[in-house]
Amino acid sequence: MNTNPHHATSPESGPNPGLNSGLNSGEDTLRLIAGLAAPAGLEERVHETLRAAQRESRGGGRVLVLPARFRAKSALESNWMRAAAAAAIVFVVVGGGWGVYSRVQPGPAGKGLVMPQIMPSPGGISGAGAIRVPQTIPGPTLKQHAGKADAAKKTSPVQHPANAPTPQPAVSQ
Amino acid sequence: MSTSQAITAGWMEIPTSAVHEEARRRAEDAAIAALVDQYAGALYRVAYSVLRNATDAEDAVQEAFLRVLRHRDTLDEVRDHRVWLIRIVWNIALDRKRRAKTRPETDDVSELARVLPSTGLSAEELAAASQHHARVLKCVEQLPAKEREVLLLSAFEELTSVEIAAVLDITESSVRSRLFRARNLMAELLDHNRNLR
Repeated sequence: MNTNPHHATSPESGPNPGLNSGLNSGEDTLRLIAGLAAPAGLEERVHETLRAAQRESRGGGRVLVLPARFRAKSALESNWMRAAAAAAIVFVVVGGGWGVYSRVQPGPAGKGLVMPQIMPSPGGISGAGAIRVPQTIPGPTLKQHAGKADAAKKTSPVQHPANAPTPQPAVSQ
Repeated sequence: MSTSQAITAGWMEIPTSAVHEEARRRAEDAAIAALVDQYAGALYRVAYSVLRNATDAEDAVQEAFLRVLRHRDTLDEVRDHRVWLIRIVWNIALDRKRRAKTRPETDDVSELARVLPSTGLSAEELAAASQHHARVLKCVEQLPAKEREVLLLSAFEELTSVEIAAVLDITESSVRSRLFRARNLMAELLDHNRNLR
């Protein structure tokens, strides 16, 4: 197969002799594929791809391109220019902020809250100091036994449910 | 020379380092172009043996040379450009194959029928040969990854076991032992397939 002494398919590394029929056909296929010719014009297409990549890397794909004389000549110079640009941007932003802060002074803050006084209008209607008390909600009423209820009706006058004494639970004897 | 003229001259002057840089770039471009002319075909075959698709293989070759372009500063440090390039395209092809969804087997058969030599074969013989090659490749796919990689690379006449070891970043003895195992496994798989039919 191969006369090269360094080639991987040396005789001592050969497979089981009993399996040679299967082996040969398998390796023939791989060798056939390995020996396929490259498609026509492959090299030219690769050259074209590389040219396009170089154009792009040299600034062809950028929106803004610096003139050649302003471009950095080395990585060190490029880093220095970047640092300078960043410092300039920080200076402008901080300076602008300081300018605004120093010009706009906030007014003196109040020391307490002053509530508006409602002055009664002369000759108008006044509440005369009356305080509105909400109507008491009537509490729950318990049903009493019929006999006790009748007796209670006879002995005591009619009371407002709110003023009635708290009913005791009926104890069965 | 007046002061203003001196300043203008300073701006207009092209530094010597820039000239050297430009010359170096040109030399690197020429070196890469030479590598393309010399090895593009071999790289295509390596990529095709893994990907088994003409378009994917060509894309892998283009990507490999784009990587070379990106790392052209280190071109001088490379000892064997051929092995270095094969290693790059091999890794790209494996990566692409890992990411790609598995294609149906019919695609492999039709692709093989298209690319393999068909001189002197009738249509039936060609179809049978394509089926056979597809079966063999299916058996190759069933091999463990390490054995399969060595077997694929060993099919290239121009690659020695030392170079295969360099591509796969293993020792030469590992190449030999893996190849031995791969061949035995392959033969067993093919015999098993033959008995089933």
